[in-house]
Amino acid sequence: MSYVGVVSLYLAVFFGVSALILSLLTLREKKQRIGLMAGRAGALSTLCILTATLGLVVAFLINDFSIAYVSRHSARNLPVLYRVSALWAGQSGSLLLWVLILSSLTFVVQRVKRYQKDDLGIRLGIVMQAVCLVFLLLLLFIATPFERLTTSPYDGSGLNPMLQSLGMVFHPPLLFLGFSGFLVPFAFAVVGLWTNDLEGDWLGHVMKWVLFSWLFLTAGIVTGGQWAYNELGWGGYWAWDPVENSSFFPWLTSTALLHILCLPLEHSTRRVWSYILIVITYGLTIFATFLTRSGILDSVHAFAGGVLGQAFLAVLLILLVFSLVLGWSRRRVLVSTEKGDTNYKSSGMAIPITLGSILLLMLCAGVFFGTMFPVLSRLFAAREVVLDRGFFNQLSVPLFLAILFLMSLSPLLRKEVSGRVWIRRLALPVLSAVAVGIYAYSIEAGGIGTLAFALAAFGIVSHVPILLQFRSLRRWGGGLVHLGVLIVMVGVTGSSIFVEDIHVSVNPGQEIVLGEYTLQYEGLKAQYGSDRYHVGTTLKIMADGLERGEITSVKTFWEGRSQPSTKVGIFSTFKEDLYLNLAGWEQPVAQLHLQRFALVGWIWVGSWIIYGGALVALLADLKFRFKGRQVRLWSRQMR
Amino acid sequence: MSKRKLKILLFSLLPLLLLGFLAFRAFENSAAYYYTISEVQAKEVLEQKLRVKGQLVEDSVFYDATLPLLVFRLTDGDAYIEASYPGVLPDNFHHSEEVIIEGTLDSQGEFQVSKLMLQCPSKYEGEE
Repeated sequence: MSYVGVVSLYLAVFFGVSALILSLLTLREKKQRIGLMAGRAGALSTLCILTATLGLVVAFLINDFSIAYVSRHSARNLPVLYRVSALWAGQSGSLLLWVLILSSLTFVVQRVKRYQKDDLGIRLGIVMQAVCLVFLLLLLFIATPFERLTTSPYDGSGLNPMLQSLGMVFHPPLLFLGFSGFLVPFAFAVVGLWTNDLEGDWLGHVMKWVLFSWLFLTAGIVTGGQWAYNELGWGGYWAWDPVENSSFFPWLTSTALLHILCLPLEHSTRRVWSYILIVITYGLTIFATFLTRSGILDSVHAFAGGVLGQAFLAVLLILLVFSLVLGWSRRRVLVSTEKGDTNYKSSGMAIPITLGSILLLMLCAGVFFGTMFPVLSRLFAAREVVLDRGFFNQLSVPLFLAILFLMSLSPLLRKEVSGRVWIRRLALPVLSAVAVGIYAYSIEAGGIGTLAFALAAFGIVSHVPILLQFRSLRRWGGGLVHLGVLIVMVGVTGSSIFVEDIHVSVNPGQEIVLGEYTLQYEGLKAQYGSDRYHVGTTLKIMADGLERGEITSVKTFWEGRSQPSTKVGIFSTFKEDLYLNLAGWEQPVAQLHLQRFALVGWIWVGSWIIYGGALVALLADLKFRFKGRQVRLWSRQMR
Repeated sequence: MSKRKLKILLFSLLPLLLLGFLAFRAFENSAAYYYTISEVQAKEVLEQKLRVKGQLVEDSVFYDATLPLLVFRLTDGDAYIEASYPGVLPDNFHHSEEVIIEGTLDSQGEFQVSKLMLQCPSKYEGEE
């Protein structure tokens, strides 16, 4: 299998280079036949990468432990699903998946009919193919997943039990898709400047690709947090760890970008800022990979460091210098104000959107500064200084509150909403904010908590009118995304403020009081499997004399391995989550770590609303030809 | 200075100043200083938040799940420190290549850990 993979990858490089050369030739010779050949070469390159990836998947499925990567991340008794997901359990497999996604995106973008005009597709292909090739070469020469072992072991080392979870099946591919998706806006920007596009047409195509990538990036971040919450057992979903932050940077900048792109103007500010944000966002996705792979910062997410990190840093530097030079030499394209800026002030949204984007960028800069502080202190002071969670919370909370305020107010700032209508529209949100605020204060949410809950209530109610009218699908989707974000913020606020954390040792028959619940411990249960044994306990959850459910935590011990793995128990309701971790035992006494977080479920519900909204806005942009008539939903041209 | 320039200046300076203020305010009580184990053992530092990196000393781990309390020793090859962590024993504790602890040094020279970070070999290798 390893030969199939290596040969395919070399072929992919060959076809990729051919596609690049043929595309450049097409631009010079203007011959359609060469263009067709270029497209085919590109497709073959993608096909080869797909073959290599499938080769590795097959190697995992047939337990080909002669491949070092397979033997390191799989074992004979690993369930089939996790044998497939083991593909991205390590560094080189992840990079292979990344390259496959990049190459597939290149393939798709080149074939969108709408981009066939004026060689747009060919130029996009050139930029994307070039980036693809860089990563393909890194994959081949620095981190190949097809390295062979001299002697093939009978069994592999197995997949880290922490990675054997649904969260780790979805989180990495979603994140990679989000990261690599931002190459498309970047390619559009480069092509726009390259062709001296004074009309700013390139900007018109960018929106849906930014939205596409943003959707997957969001899903990638949320599934990562969900995985940490369900698997790691410390009872949180976000810890301001460098690796988590690094995926948050491009999220913040792309969110700002999305809003700047919403501005209804052909103003130079919009063009300049779009270009800057597109470059920064794509740069940050590469920087994120650099941070996770270089080991420059201490993170709880430990990945192998080494050469790959430096390679990514080099790619990042080249990218930034290239973009800077391109942007400067073609600054005429960016600052041309042919269509004037008459629209700028007439839309009520310009100022809040600008303010909101500035806040998002401030947040990004602040978190970036805090994350990189150890490196800065190493450079400028003798001693390395690390900033802990407290720094990030104190820095971000005021900014989050300001963003929340703007977001909640945004439906009322439209131009058509003025005078009497404005007061009428304001009444209900203000009432609900006051009501929720008083309630939150009465249950001791504290000053910041009360403010956050009140603002969120205001925002949720003020967004209802937008969701009740279907004037434009994009706007409706945008409103839904806002609603989802507000709900997530309610969940984040609740689960940070209302926390209970207890350690108890209990005898069978004993009861534990946690919040309004009473938990009954009835003893430990052991279960033996072929290569492992489990020790677990199930607590009955009672409230008001009624049984509400149960919660189970299990510790698993694996044969031949000293490290056990613990499955935490989570009992989730609309109001709060109970979180159980079996810390230890001395038969029949069990030591339990119990936690209670308010409103965690809102985060996951809110995130699904965000996905839904983003999807609607995304589909609203595509046109669908149905029996000759155009229906604005889907596009047949986009295969 | 033209009005436009003033506006641009205001729009770029104000956020930076504000951010600087927020960062400065947040900096207090959240900075942890990296010290080597030898430095800590020489008791150069008291009443400051520290971060220390080291290897776990084999057979030094004592864990009482009832409290819970985890006591262990870290070494950098030359010196070692005693550390105690009032929390649950992490599953991968014995497996860690490197342990990072954050906290303060008490007057007895014992490290009171508030945050425990483990770095594991990313290559998950089973023990044959």
